[in-house]
Amino acid sequence: MEQTLRVKRYDPENPGDAGYQEYNVEVTDTTTILDALLTIREEMDGTLSMRCSCRASICGSCAMRVDGQAKLVCKTRLNSVAPDGETITIDPLGNMPVIKDLVVEFKSFWDKTRAVEPFLKPEGIVPEAEYIASDDDMVHLVGVVNCIQCGACVSDCTVLEVDDSFLGPAALAKAYRFVKDPRDGHQKDRLEDLNKPSGVWDCTRCMQCVEVCPKDVDPMGRIMVLRDMAMEAGFNNTSGSRHTESFAKSVKKNGRLDEMKLAVDSMGKFNFPALIAEAPVGLRAIRKGKFPWKAHKSSEPDKVKQVFEKIEGNK
Amino acid sequence: MYEHDVLIIGAGLAGLRASVEAARMGVDAAVITKVHPIRSHSNAAQGGINAPMTDRGDDWEGHALDTIKGSDYLADQDAVELMSREAGDAIIELEHMGVIFSRNEDGQLGTRRFGGQKVARTFYVGAITGSAMLQVLYEQAVKLDVNVYEEWFVSNLIIEDGVCHGVMAMDIHTGELHMIRAKAVIMATGGAGRVFEPSTNALICTGEGLGLAYRAGAPLMDMEMIQYHPTTLAGSGILLSEAARGEGAYLLNAEGERFMKTYAPDYLELASRDVVSRSEQTEINEGRGIDGNIHLDLRHLGRTFIEERLGYLQEVALEFAGIDLAEASIPIRPGMHYIMGGIKTDINGATEVPGLYAAGETANVSVHGGNRLGANSLLDTVVFGRRAAIAAAEYAKSAERHSSDESMLASEKERYQALLDRPADLRAAALRREMGESMVAGIGVFRDQKTIDAAIATVENLRSLYPRVAVDNKGKVFNTDIMAAIELDYMLDVAHTICAGANARKESRGAHYRTDMPDRDDENWLKHTLVYKDGEGSRVETLDVTITNWTPVERVY
Amino acid sequence: MKYAFYPGCVARGGTPELLVSANAVMDRLGIEREEIVSAACTGAGVLQERNQKLGDALNVRTFALAEKMGLPIMTICSTCQGVMSQANRRVLRDPEYLAEINEVLAEEGLEYKGTTVIKHFLWVLVEEIGIEELQKTFTKELSGLKFAPFYGCYIVRPSDALGFDEHPERQTSLETVIESTGAVAVENDGKTKCCGLPILLINQSNAIQMVSNHTGEAKDLGADAMVTPCPLCHLNLDGYQPKAAKRRPSGKIDLPILHLPQMLGLAMGMQPKELGLQRHIISTKEVIGKAAAAPAAVS
Repeated sequence: MEQTLRVKRYDPENPGDAGYQEYNVEVTDTTTILDALLTIREEMDGTLSMRCSCRASICGSCAMRVDGQAKLVCKTRLNSVAPDGETITIDPLGNMPVIKDLVVEFKSFWDKTRAVEPFLKPEGIVPEAEYIASDDDMVHLVGVVNCIQCGACVSDCTVLEVDDSFLGPAALAKAYRFVKDPRDGHQKDRLEDLNKPSGVWDCTRCMQCVEVCPKDVDPMGRIMVLRDMAMEAGFNNTSGSRHTESFAKSVKKNGRLDEMKLAVDSMGKFNFPALIAEAPVGLRAIRKGKFPWKAHKSSEPDKVKQVFEKIEGNK
Repeated sequence: MYEHDVLIIGAGLAGLRASVEAARMGVDAAVITKVHPIRSHSNAAQGGINAPMTDRGDDWEGHALDTIKGSDYLADQDAVELMSREAGDAIIELEHMGVIFSRNEDGQLGTRRFGGQKVARTFYVGAITGSAMLQVLYEQAVKLDVNVYEEWFVSNLIIEDGVCHGVMAMDIHTGELHMIRAKAVIMATGGAGRVFEPSTNALICTGEGLGLAYRAGAPLMDMEMIQYHPTTLAGSGILLSEAARGEGAYLLNAEGERFMKTYAPDYLELASRDVVSRSEQTEINEGRGIDGNIHLDLRHLGRTFIEERLGYLQEVALEFAGIDLAEASIPIRPGMHYIMGGIKTDINGATEVPGLYAAGETANVSVHGGNRLGANSLLDTVVFGRRAAIAAAEYAKSAERHSSDESMLASEKERYQALLDRPADLRAAALRREMGESMVAGIGVFRDQKTIDAAIATVENLRSLYPRVAVDNKGKVFNTDIMAAIELDYMLDVAHTICAGANARKESRGAHYRTDMPDRDDENWLKHTLVYKDGEGSRVETLDVTITNWTPVERVY
Repeated sequence: MKYAFYPGCVARGGTPELLVSANAVMDRLGIEREEIVSAACTGAGVLQERNQKLGDALNVRTFALAEKMGLPIMTICSTCQGVMSQANRRVLRDPEYLAEINEVLAEEGLEYKGTTVIKHFLWVLVEEIGIEELQKTFTKELSGLKFAPFYGCYIVRPSDALGFDEHPERQTSLETVIESTGAVAVENDGKTKCCGLPILLINQSNAIQMVSNHTGEAKDLGADAMVTPCPLCHLNLDGYQPKAAKRRPSGKIDLPILHLPQMLGLAMGMQPKELGLQRHIISTKEVIGKAAAAPAAVS
């Protein structure tokens, strides 16, 4: 049967001609989007530029946006996206400048990867044979080494959409891989760097990276663990860690969230400039009767506290 | 002016390992690659890397013998010895660089069994060993600040008076052609799987490195030795690692029997790949296939084991065949996978063209001879990638920089322009497909004079049609259309040399199995075939195999 | 139908108008409910980043309480819904983990048996009540009005924790409900993106930019209001809109943000005060006026 692919074209040598081009392709139930694009490139229109190589979801070349969402097109069947044969739209990845058609500039992606020092940094005497390490530790890392650096997460990250300085899910997941490697001797330094602005605390927890990752790397989950590890390592002087601590304290005490306290604690109780800057927002809220003066409680806050204590111990 | 002491073409495992060695030596080296290093096809290797670890009870002679036997005695034994001896250090070095190899209960490196070996000496990372290793080599290249010409397409070598002085390449982002001069060039461009259709190989495996060396005067050795991997997915040809069988999976025919007991009563599913592929093909040809396929059964390994140790296999099975390996067996068949043949080199990667070195799948030392053991390719890349760098650097020290003729660049530009100017006629992809299908039919698991002749005829015909290949894309930026046309030019040469080798070798050995000459003939054919470019055609010479300690005997699994 | 009602912390705190309007609308729809008064905050993903198990335990406790009540849980907050769905999935997939958590809850005499269903009010409307029954409660047809949907990350991702396989209609449920009122659901790119609230106190600049992008886009597309099923999104999109407006060349946005029940309340002909519409930072006067002027619903 025939299906239509609507593909975004852009040629820097003829920028005025940019736009969508429609192609009708013969497909079957098992045809992947890459199969269809290759048919277009090889049999219909050799001017279409795209990156693709292994066809087996291991090289990471063919990530593109399909109906607005980043996917690896070699492993995406047409009928999984368009079960009734509807037209599908193919765009290049987001958050990266377009070079031509479906090819985007990955320089920023690779620069950010480099920024996290993505190589093992052992300390101390190098053993004659291998470093001794547990299989559990190594198997745990396989989950994040599964990342094929395809760029899907970076493409759809909602923070990168507004702020290109954010390290991004791919680089942070890569950083996690080294922080969690028992053979690396620089865990604390790495955490300190990741704790800085544009690092782990800038993730907005929107789960786009988790949703689009074709390899179940779970970048957001790794970022969350890095946050926890940073706090455990004693890096507590960020509004992010203060926010988390305050949240936990509030729920432990009342069973519920005390929003006002949370806001103040996150900014820093003595951070007068920040507190003053927020005053207009606070005042507006008060005027409208929305200011959360009184903290709400669960009907059994002691039971909630019990759960905290059983799991975290008496802190 | 782009100039280096050593230029490495290809950023897969062999190329990156060479670059790391060059950087450690403080040599002015650069890597040039048509895709980002991480995208290189090394990432598709799944099962593991062999190494005899002498510090824990294994012996290198055992690995060497397995390799030599696996090669059907075509491997040069001095080269194999060297690889087996250096393997242990290579693994430890990889681990020190950061590869996340699996571990045993004592926290030491863990192993699995692999084809053609009784001892479990294959070190691995799940079913993504190649990807895991490539990532680490890339990380080391980043750490050492290796210079990479990323997404540059090498379309020609600079050869003057028979000596290699660098390359001519297109910057894919701008379409501009440049000369990059180098005192020594290391060809590490991998295999040429796309000369066959289907193949497990990536679309980028077009073998222009082999073609470039061939045209420069370097002979291609044992090109008839084409490995058909026993377990490739029916349809797409995507690879399912030998690791499945290494961890205990069965091969079943339509009668549900483990037929390998007939063909390889000792090694069963872990016989050498050529033996297993022939066995499967025989079962299929004799009507005991299931819809023309064999079934690979992992169910008895259990879901947890499959997901932990063979995760990527499960992903491939689910995504590309809709099969859950814990619940059902999966249809597979032999598929073209690897070229044992390649640019002839010595044990230091030197080819017959001064200034030109080669390492990895693109080279033929020969360590794999007539058939490669699984998990030996990853070993080959790091051992010989390193050696080639050392040799190339040494050569570069004493080589004089040559101020090359700019007119060479002008002719290369004309070549591109001719393709661009040609009005629409034949498409490169159409010719490639026809070549690929005829090569699988002609130089397949089983071949004979008839099938070989048919392949030769097709390739010759396509070569005569090549001047009519035109491109749609007349632009400068990211013109993959023109790259495909030039790749095809070299692919036709590679196909030609494969046919020439198959035609020349009048015996069956390793992966070259002729039904019209089914016996191995050590008396006349314990030799390599060497195909040299000769005018418009080629000539085939032979070279004795180097025998050191292991006398060729009958090969039984 | 009766539900174990879980309003969440913010519906009582920073967005009291949500609880007020939700109660009013649910009464009109005849949805019986009993609040799980002992339940703790879900953790909103923040607690989980500090200690995943702690967050899961608190949520499983809530599930166990609902089980004791013999009722399914209904939420009115995308974040509560998402966090609970994820927690539920985690423990249902891992019986050993659930057993560990149940050990903690045993001290209180609670045990989660794995049967609790958690649905957002939005899903209840589409799946349990049904659009036809819902429309019977409308006295107005809001034709001529345009509402931009804004889901909130936690009710659309990750898709495999939210039952989209079984209920694919959930992915367009907000548009469905908007359209049921007679209004047009505006096609906006931002509808499943992030409002920025989780980083509001950490990187305010980025959070503000997100608000500016999404509300600005909807305004430019002609929306009369944005409708969201998440009070956390509301806090940011409404509360910080004045600051966000400064990011636009015009300096203006002025897009009122409606909680889902408030939009329904307008279609039901309820008074603005009944729906807490006076409590918004961005004035809702214009959209209230348009709704009031809308024709009567055809029965």
